[in-house]
Amino acid sequence: MKADVRPGWPAAVAIALTLAALLAGAPRPVLAAEPSIRGKPAADFALKAVSGQNVRLSEHLGEVVLLNFWATWCGPCRLQMPRLEQLHATYGSAGLVLLGMNVDDDAADAVEFARTIGVSYPVLLDPRKAVAPLYDLDAVPMTVLIDRAGVVRFVHYDYDPAIEKLYVAELRQLLDE
Amino acid sequence: MNAVRPDALSATRSRVARASWFAAWLAVWLAAWLAAWLAIVGPIGVALAQEQPAESAPAGANAPTAPPADAAAAAVADQPAAPSQEFKSIDQDVQALKKDVVELNKDLFVLEEELLFPANTQVAVFVSLDVGEFFAVDSVTLKVDDKEVANYLYTAREAEALMRGGVQRMYVGNLKVGKHELVAFFTGKGTHERDYKRGATLNFDKGIGAKYLELQISDRARKQQPEFVIKEWE
Repeated sequence: MKADVRPGWPAAVAIALTLAALLAGAPRPVLAAEPSIRGKPAADFALKAVSGQNVRLSEHLGEVVLLNFWATWCGPCRLQMPRLEQLHATYGSAGLVLLGMNVDDDAADAVEFARTIGVSYPVLLDPRKAVAPLYDLDAVPMTVLIDRAGVVRFVHYDYDPAIEKLYVAELRQLLDE
Repeated sequence: MNAVRPDALSATRSRVARASWFAAWLAVWLAAWLAAWLAIVGPIGVALAQEQPAESAPAGANAPTAPPADAAAAAVADQPAAPSQEFKSIDQDVQALKKDVVELNKDLFVLEEELLFPANTQVAVFVSLDVGEFFAVDSVTLKVDDKEVANYLYTAREAEALMRGGVQRMYVGNLKVGKHELVAFFTGKGTHERDYKRGATLNFDKGIGAKYLELQISDRARKQQPEFVIKEWE
């Protein structure tokens, strides 16, 4: 006579434990590849700002630089800019240099928008997309943090309060170095 | 049809079977976790052990006996002096190494330039600014044989450096022997903050040997205008 071996609670517990072990060991999906520019010297460039002055990145060696690539058609960029203005007001005197890098095809849109928002940090215009490829720009907004030695230390894509909290903490770390 | 009668013995057997099955699965799961843990932690532990400074060698058969007390006291007195001497020599070695690295870097840079731009094809273009009252340079664009080869934006600091007498090597490239045309466009602010854009052209003959050209921006006081000239260095 066959023993009545119905699956009961021991089997259920064993299956649950096995599944938990498999899931814990499973590789997590990589949502975004590690930025290729991270850890490398920041590519030097010179661009004209909305104010009409030319700005060169290498002249800010020794300072912490935040590059923010943005465009007027990008919603999160528009949300981020007032917050960046606050960062500039807070940390500007501590050695932070904030540069907005606009990549619109028509620079006039960027000039108009920057004046409407009323940002006080330099907004640089790159309509010919000469600088964007140097930083492997895939999407906007992209925030790049460069340390005092001119090395790209942190890169963030997109914008939301959680990301902002992260890069503000990183910014403070670089300013403290 | 055989009816299945609830039987104490068969019930016990089924419980034992279930418990055995569960125990086997639990053993397999625990073994897998232990193996994974050892695979991760093991190498880390080995690496940490290797980083530990080597402890003093254990006393062997020929190890010397403990020194007498006075010799030990003398040894203790000498100890503070020995480390500082050692640090000093290490510091000097480090400084010497740094100097060697800088020299090597310089030699590599010169070699790289010679390889990329050999003298027989090299063309270098320099920019200089004399006085600069009538023209504030903003950018300079270079075209060689109708092809744009360089475009340089000048910051306030760089323009100031030019006004103080600095000469900038704006472009270095390679050209074949023969006739070529260089066109330079100067953009900036003229008198009364007016936008100013001028061009200058030079047809030159590239021979064997490096060619050096200078874009001179100077003030012509008589005409109250800037002058843009391209000169060849002999």
